[in-house]
Amino acid sequence: MKNFAMLLSSAMLALALTSCKEDNVTPVQPVVTETVRDLPADPVRIDPATGRPLGGTNRFTLYSLRENRIVANSDSATNKWDIGLRGTTLIVNGGAIRSGQGGAFIFTGLFDELKEIPATATFRTDQSPSDLAIPNASGQGWYNYNSQTHLITPIPGRVIVLRTGDGKFAKVEILSYYKGAPAAPTSTSESRHYTFRFSFQPDGSRKF
Amino acid sequence: MKPLYAIPLVSLLTVSHIQAIAQSDSLKMRELDEVVVTATRTEKMVSALPMPVTVVSQKQIQQMGSLRLNEVLQEQTGLAIVNNHGQGLQVQGFNPEYTLILIDGEPLIGRTAGTLELSRVAVANIKQIEIVKGPSSSLYGSEALAGVVNIITETPTANRAVFSTRYGTNRTLDLTSNLQWKTERTSASLFMNRYSTAGYDFTPETFGQTVEPFHNYTLQSKAEHRFSDALRLSLSGRYFTEKQSDNFNVGSVQMPNLVSGEGSIKDLNFNPILHFKTSGSLSGRVSLYHSRYRTDASSRYLSDGSLFEESFFNQTFLRPETQLIWLFSSKHNTTFGTGMVQESVEATRYTKRQQFHTVYAFAQHEWLPTEKWHIIAGGRFDSHSVYGAQFSPKLSAQYQLTPKIALRASAGVGFKAPDFRQLYLNFVNTAAGYSVFGTEEVSRMIRELQAQGQIGEVFFNPEVAGSLRAERSLSWNFGGKWNASERTLFNINFFRNDIRDLIESQVFARRINGQNIFSYRNLSRVFTQGIEIDGSQQLSDNICLSAGYQLLFTGDKSVIERIDNGEIFRRDPVTLLTSRLSRSDYGGLFGRSRHMANAKIFYENKAKGWTANLRAIYRGRYGLGDRNGNLVLDDPSEYVKGFVTVNVAVSKTFLRERLRLQAGADNLFNFTNMQAIPNMPGRLLWTSLHFQLYSAN
Repeated sequence: MKNFAMLLSSAMLALALTSCKEDNVTPVQPVVTETVRDLPADPVRIDPATGRPLGGTNRFTLYSLRENRIVANSDSATNKWDIGLRGTTLIVNGGAIRSGQGGAFIFTGLFDELKEIPATATFRTDQSPSDLAIPNASGQGWYNYNSQTHLITPIPGRVIVLRTGDGKFAKVEILSYYKGAPAAPTSTSESRHYTFRFSFQPDGSRKF
Repeated sequence: MKPLYAIPLVSLLTVSHIQAIAQSDSLKMRELDEVVVTATRTEKMVSALPMPVTVVSQKQIQQMGSLRLNEVLQEQTGLAIVNNHGQGLQVQGFNPEYTLILIDGEPLIGRTAGTLELSRVAVANIKQIEIVKGPSSSLYGSEALAGVVNIITETPTANRAVFSTRYGTNRTLDLTSNLQWKTERTSASLFMNRYSTAGYDFTPETFGQTVEPFHNYTLQSKAEHRFSDALRLSLSGRYFTEKQSDNFNVGSVQMPNLVSGEGSIKDLNFNPILHFKTSGSLSGRVSLYHSRYRTDASSRYLSDGSLFEESFFNQTFLRPETQLIWLFSSKHNTTFGTGMVQESVEATRYTKRQQFHTVYAFAQHEWLPTEKWHIIAGGRFDSHSVYGAQFSPKLSAQYQLTPKIALRASAGVGFKAPDFRQLYLNFVNTAAGYSVFGTEEVSRMIRELQAQGQIGEVFFNPEVAGSLRAERSLSWNFGGKWNASERTLFNINFFRNDIRDLIESQVFARRINGQNIFSYRNLSRVFTQGIEIDGSQQLSDNICLSAGYQLLFTGDKSVIERIDNGEIFRRDPVTLLTSRLSRSDYGGLFGRSRHMANAKIFYENKAKGWTANLRAIYRGRYGLGDRNGNLVLDDPSEYVKGFVTVNVAVSKTFLRERLRLQAGADNLFNFTNMQAIPNMPGRLLWTSLHFQLYSAN
């Protein structure tokens, strides 16, 4: 035990000395985790006059993780956005039908456990509207659909590992599909409102 | 002296003699020596059987005032009524499709999504209900994994006419007449029943009731003629028809779009049986059972009268069967049987009339090596036209440890053949967009859609999947009974069932419009295990107490493996934080109560003609459905709270038992849970009048 402590302290000393020598290295900032609440993903609008649903716009909400904000649809053919959301469909900014360098795969595990994306990981891309990086089907991608309650629930323990539009890395965990992230959503809860948390690594490394 | 059970084919006279003895007993909730036929397909005393068997007598059913089969079964230890496309029976934690429901030994058909609606069966003409728990495929073939419920109808013992009427809450009216005629050689009976109810509504603010009004008729007849001691012919037939209205809103609350319609069910059974006996040690029967089940439904928009939906389902079942019993000696006898089943289904959701057939043979040997041992070994071979062959063996033994204590054990294999839906369904849900194809349809459908350029992605190649296999179980039952005294009886049974190749739906492919195509595969492996205890105590000549309890553990083995591998998670609904599921979080299969119990007290004063009883039934909490997205039962919000229902009934006879007045309350404390258990009405008060005419002959 004592030996181990000695070894540890000498190693730390060595590390400190090495760092001292190279002054031009900026200290690595820990990657921050942000939570986005109630991001609308083409929600069904209700005509206040008739109470009838008007249907959506059929447009994706494009989101930049670096900027942590919505990107205008006019920028859809750029690499400025990283993930797009419309209903349960999620798109990435990479592949045959996109302009950016994006990609994604689904990691099974806890968000905090994913410290580094393995070098062997394969990123999928959006090849066609029916062949997306993140499959849009119950149990296949990020959600489960309950045919009895008609509710969409994000599968716990699924993390979307994302390559962003400009080729950086991020991880995203969808937390709720309903406005206000209610603890017990019902069929009258307003759907198509995402709450998710993400970590974006701006330095291009695969570490979080 | 021959042992009691060495007379497998008891003649009519013997049966009525035993009945007479049983009926002369002042009051017993569980006769010690009832004769049952279900466990071995031969007449046996319950006390001699090496497997768990429960018998509910006509007398008990009458005292409870029950009208339909579900009401009787829900009060029995270890049985639960579960609702999935109808009220079905859960035995030892198995879903309803794994218990065979028989009337006089012949199967009822017409299951919707696997559930046989138990309220289809009227119980006023039932002699007794026999419930065999544990695998019985060795005698009955498919569907008998969890057990068998056999409804034994009355055989006339005298000339008798019974009329009864009952009226209660929800304008529920039951009218019954039962006519029985008997001469020395010939007997006949005619049972007629009409049941109607106005239903009830938990949500009066919405269009359509929770349970819509319905009415049904049951007509049942049995005729028998004894040509000689060696030859007897019986004919039995049953016809059931039901009509129920159907009202619902396919629009929204603001913009209603109302639909109204009607559904009907028709169920017909016919069974001629020839019983024979040679002068030697051979006896047997030949039967030709035929059954049809048909449903029709049609509904129209109220706005313009145009058709909303029209559907039908038409199933037929034909089974010739021969059974022989050979008594070698008082220590050995063997039962052989062989038969064939021809089944067909024609329905809205099938491309054409689908048929399959099964050829089978079974044998069972009974051996009584000493007075203390009773051993039964048997097996059945089923060869099916679509999915192949099955062999289902079973071995049971009973050992009389002391005159008061008997130990028993049995092990057996059960199976359930893939049903028509799993093989041939061809269903496209245009509203929700998905499609479901049976395994015999799915490759062709995917190929066709591929040729049309409709398939986006194939997840699972149906050619690789091959044909469905039967679902199979291996089951163990160990237990014993203790006749502590003439007035006290205890039963205990431990059970373990391992089921593999459970058939489940799975996404096979996705269309280019993003909609899933489902088909079926042999996927899950599950287990159920537990303990069942029941006991009864005769407190005095007039009062009998009984109580029962079942402890049940269930689980999906692949879920447990995934939990052990750390692959299943849960999200806290408030903090939205995710954590790994541990084994102790896992609640097992949905719809199973860890604890179920009942306690009953029956009173009878024969001299004064009074009976009264109070029955309390507890169903512990059970999983309703996933709420937190991991598809397994773990979160407290996923459970339905446990509940107790209390039922009471009182009766008094007049005019030398010719007239009987009865009144009662089912669900006395008005327990309801409209979200989770909409099929359970509140308190039902009722009163009834029975009148009988008879002549001794």
